[in-house]
Amino acid sequence: MHKRSGDIKDPTPTITSRYSYGMALIRVEDLVKEFRRSERFPGFLGGIRSLFTRQYTVTQAVDGISFEVDQGELVGYLGPNGAGKSTTIKMLTGILVATSGICEVGGITPWRDRERNAKQIGVVFGQRSQLWWDLPLRDSFLLIKRLYDVSDADFRATMKTFTDLLELEEFIDTPVRQLSLGQRMRGDLAAAMLYRPHILYLDEPTIGLDVVAKERIRVFIEELNRAEGTTVILTTHDLDDVERLCRRIMMIDHGKLLWDGDPESLKRRYAPHRELVVRLVDPHEKVAELGLAGVSVGDAAEGATTIAFDPQQVAAADVIAAVLARHRVSDISIVEPELEPIIRQIYADRAVAL
Amino acid sequence: MTAVAVPRRARLRALVGIGRMSAQSLITYRFNLLFGIVSALVQIYLLRVVWHSVYHGRSTVNGITLDVQVAYSSLAAVQAWLLSPGLLWDIPQRVRDGTIAMDLLRPVRFLPQAFASQVGGVLAMLPFAVVALPFAVLVGGAVGPASTPAFFGYLLGLVTGFLISAILNLIVSMVSFWTLEIQGMLMIYRIVQQFFSGALVPLWFMPGWLHAIATVLPFQASGYTPLAIYVGRVSGGKAAQLLVEQAAWIVVLWLLLRLIWSRALRRIVVQGG
Amino acid sequence: MRTVRIYRALIGAAMRSELQYRTNLIMQTIGGVAFQGIGFAFIWVVVNRFGAISGWSIGDIAFLYGMRLTAHGLWTVPFSQLVYVEAVIRNAEFDRYLVRPVNPFIQLVCRRVMFQTLGDLAGGVALLGSAATLVNVDWSPLAVCYLVLALAGGALVEVSVNMTVTTLAFRFTRIYALRLLVDDIFNTFGSYPMRILPSAARFGLTFVLPLAFVAYFPASVLLHRTGQLSVPAGLAWCAPVVGIALFVGAYKFWMLQTKHYSSSGH
Repeated sequence: MHKRSGDIKDPTPTITSRYSYGMALIRVEDLVKEFRRSERFPGFLGGIRSLFTRQYTVTQAVDGISFEVDQGELVGYLGPNGAGKSTTIKMLTGILVATSGICEVGGITPWRDRERNAKQIGVVFGQRSQLWWDLPLRDSFLLIKRLYDVSDADFRATMKTFTDLLELEEFIDTPVRQLSLGQRMRGDLAAAMLYRPHILYLDEPTIGLDVVAKERIRVFIEELNRAEGTTVILTTHDLDDVERLCRRIMMIDHGKLLWDGDPESLKRRYAPHRELVVRLVDPHEKVAELGLAGVSVGDAAEGATTIAFDPQQVAAADVIAAVLARHRVSDISIVEPELEPIIRQIYADRAVAL
Repeated sequence: MTAVAVPRRARLRALVGIGRMSAQSLITYRFNLLFGIVSALVQIYLLRVVWHSVYHGRSTVNGITLDVQVAYSSLAAVQAWLLSPGLLWDIPQRVRDGTIAMDLLRPVRFLPQAFASQVGGVLAMLPFAVVALPFAVLVGGAVGPASTPAFFGYLLGLVTGFLISAILNLIVSMVSFWTLEIQGMLMIYRIVQQFFSGALVPLWFMPGWLHAIATVLPFQASGYTPLAIYVGRVSGGKAAQLLVEQAAWIVVLWLLLRLIWSRALRRIVVQGG
Repeated sequence: MRTVRIYRALIGAAMRSELQYRTNLIMQTIGGVAFQGIGFAFIWVVVNRFGAISGWSIGDIAFLYGMRLTAHGLWTVPFSQLVYVEAVIRNAEFDRYLVRPVNPFIQLVCRRVMFQTLGDLAGGVALLGSAATLVNVDWSPLAVCYLVLALAGGALVEVSVNMTVTTLAFRFTRIYALRLLVDDIFNTFGSYPMRILPSAARFGLTFVLPLAFVAYFPASVLLHRTGQLSVPAGLAWCAPVVGIALFVGAYKFWMLQTKHYSSSGH
């Protein structure tokens, strides 16, 4: 599960000496975050009572999760809204102080050492830009350069790389408030990586973007991870992002970690069946039972029949051969199981279990 | 833009609805309301302390006793809060974010709508003003009306004063149809209006030339005039004369408003919303 | 120092952003001056009619008013954004500050530049300047020095109070009411000789809300009126020092709270 990317650059001197190869870059153990909210007593008399004492409700936004992330991983962090995703990320970035548990990023506890932690991470919030709204994009980059003490040489090199990769030239002198969402997102990504942090936290980076824009962003993220060895933690609702980029998925709901592993294992575990969609030359002909174990033939719908089979029991090739032997086929295709129904199922099961 | 042939009752109901909406939006900003009252109380206290200090034992100055002066300041502060142009910002904001288009499309003419929203606002604040009154008296002071006719004159003056201030507010906010950046202008208007309404300085203490300016302007209507009648500073014929002047102002300002509105309308049509 | 360079860069960005909206700057500045002007106009009319307020002539009061307004301007020009901390926290802008290797306080105050605060400062200096010629003060180098210190001290007193209220916003989300009330009290009573107040109020505005240290005490010192005070003259003299002490305290309080700050979530 802990993969290492091939080409890792030397860690910059900002990482504390306590971190070294062999130790996970991000280490979380039994992390808990509780929120206390005061509640007023109901009714009029209750209102008076509320002036003196309050009832408190305690919610466990994060209820004891543990995981480790090595340098160079590209992790997808999934969960429905309110599951504890953003709470976890906020603790990792140092915005929130944990209630209990261990959280170490590059050897630092993020909320205890915010300024040092800030230098090793880049954060992109999909909804809120970190760029200076009224100024040209270029100015934001220069300001970030100043805030993070990036040297002139590094800055020039990085800007050249990113300008090419993200095609920033055409709008780098436009005020940020006039940029389209896709352009602004590219700008935010470049700004987040300008000082070459080791870890990149992305919160809904492709939300609201069109297909072309999404692909651009995904390519950039992939490139960062591949070429620079940047560790990426991606929080998203867009499962295409996950399918495309993530080699590891962590799923959280109601503050607990439900799954931590690679997507293939996830699919194998929860959707062990794969599907074959068959169109016969004669649209009225029905696909016969194939007499193979682990195969069930579905009903025809709009001229296509779906055959579900268990890849553990019978190979796709055998099923195809069996169909071809019995019928004249005009089209046959193998459908990969999709993440979405799987994840939906997991959340649903979880909700029922509670 | 002429109103569609909508029956009178429906139009009236629409106006009441608008009034109620603006009343409600004010109430939801109860916090602003509360702060306005507290701020008025702070000012009343300061004024009381200042008047006590400057009177320095003298019983009357310019024919005004200390008690009357303190009572004046207390009532004037509550009045100013009640009639404050809080909704002054409404039209400029609506122009800025475009919701003004909705207002123009309604089957009721725009001016009555704008007016209804002002009325709704003041009516909503009225109960709060009444509640605040005892506090104002506590912090400042109070005197009874000079006479029964004085009291009714006062009430009448309040109504005419409200009308004048409402129309003035509308006139000023009309500027937003010509330019969106009117913050500074509105601020200056508010200052001038505040000063010459006599809320801080009663006209009877102003030096001659300042007094002359103040009497010529319509701003005194919402503050000084009704109170001057209340305390008996002006009575009988003079009071009636003042009220008639106010009525004249209402007519003049209303005509001015309609003129400006028709120009504004033409501009909107030309600009295309 | 790195902090200074960063401050300059951020403030520069804020200024350039603000200058994009050129049109209303002048109007807003004038509006700000007018707002303060009405308070002074009231005083002017009263003194015109009554001769003096508690023995303070128009020159004396103008001087006091000018001192207070200048002190006010001296802190609102650089730190105006403290007032918006509640909104900044609510819309998660503050979260972004925590994720940058820069002191959040600096990021907060450099967030925006509000040119109308210059109106207060300009008005205050103008009033102070003209009043300085009217009052019975020998403007020796020592006196001028004390005036400058007092203005800085007054600014520090006001900003400390504001910072303390701002810091409370981390704990109590709806701090806006308190802030408005405090600002209102400072604005209303700050420019008057506090002699006119009853002793309880005077106590409150000296030791509960340190308003007296902003302008009244130092003005009393310069105008040779320390005998009229209900506190020892020495305390009045020390107004600038009180300002420094309060600021240090307020800043420490701020640092303590941000360290334990936990985003409220949204």
